[in-house]
Amino acid sequence: MKKLVPILCILAAFGIAVSLYEIFFVTPIEVNIDSNGRLNMSSLFFNYKIMFFHVAHAFWLFCAVFVAGISSAFYIKTQNVKWDDIASAAVDVSVAFGAVVLLTGSIWARAAWGVWWHWEPRLTMSLLLWIVLVGYVLVRRFAGPSGDRIAAGMAIFGMIGVPFIYVLVGSDSHPNSGANGVVAKLPPEMRGAFWLSVASFLLWFLALMLTRLESTRAERELRELRERALDLGVL
Amino acid sequence: MNKLVLAAILMFSTGAFADGSDAPAPTPTALEQQCRDALNTDPAFKTAIANKLGIQLDVETLKVHQAADAQVKMNERHVVYAYAAMWIVAALFVIFLFMRQQALKREIATLRKDLEAAAK
Repeated sequence: MKKLVPILCILAAFGIAVSLYEIFFVTPIEVNIDSNGRLNMSSLFFNYKIMFFHVAHAFWLFCAVFVAGISSAFYIKTQNVKWDDIASAAVDVSVAFGAVVLLTGSIWARAAWGVWWHWEPRLTMSLLLWIVLVGYVLVRRFAGPSGDRIAAGMAIFGMIGVPFIYVLVGSDSHPNSGANGVVAKLPPEMRGAFWLSVASFLLWFLALMLTRLESTRAERELRELRERALDLGVL
Repeated sequence: MNKLVLAAILMFSTGAFADGSDAPAPTPTALEQQCRDALNTDPAFKTAIANKLGIQLDVETLKVHQAADAQVKMNERHVVYAYAAMWIVAALFVIFLFMRQQALKREIATLRKDLEAAAK
């Protein structure tokens, strides 16, 4: 696993570099022409370039939340700490990815709508999901011995929220997602750059996840060593 | 003689006005055809009108392009902010992971030494 992380990082860096080139030098600026052949000034223009990384991060945020939720469910059922380690690593990575989604989304909102934040359903639910994930991290850190099980419950709760954000909740102004969403309707000249950035961030996500998994295992080892040290009166 | 010529002019002009007032008003298509014929008979007039229209179209196009250019320039800043935010979060997370892992390694090594010493 230690050898896999540098390989994933190199591949991700290469993919991100190529997708950056594609985004800024190959894909066109998004321009909306109305039925009279006139330029629609509600066109996204250059700020469309934010979408390529914003949506890629959102994809892997949702994926990480699902990994955490399913792992937590297995942990509650089997009490095998392997699942708890996976869930903890996935949540830590999803907090970072969630921060990127919220920040880039907010900046995009400022460019497109003229406001930094809009309390519409999809944005509000995304923020709530991120708060639940931060809550998971805090519970694990400060809730003591039973914190693992409480945090596992929170991860399952977060996972249930994802379909609401992605598909079920209607949106006033946020671009649509799902089968009729902006990704499904991407023009052919933008698809290559978009899916390349999604694939590159999958590699980056996996590299971060494996690294975090390693330190989660180290944390567990440290806890066990401390318990032994307490038993022997070393601490 | 002069009186005769004047009388003839008056008679013909009256007749012409009478013909003009009695004639049916031309339909828009007829007007259009008349305009086309007039344009085709005078190439210089035709060129002048084409040039005039061409200049007006360019001004309109230019206005739209300037508006789009301003929009694009305004958005450049936001795209830079968004990409900067993304890299800052990624860098902070990597630094956090690295520092946490180093601290854990140090602590585990110290505890192991202490435990080995206590076991002896």
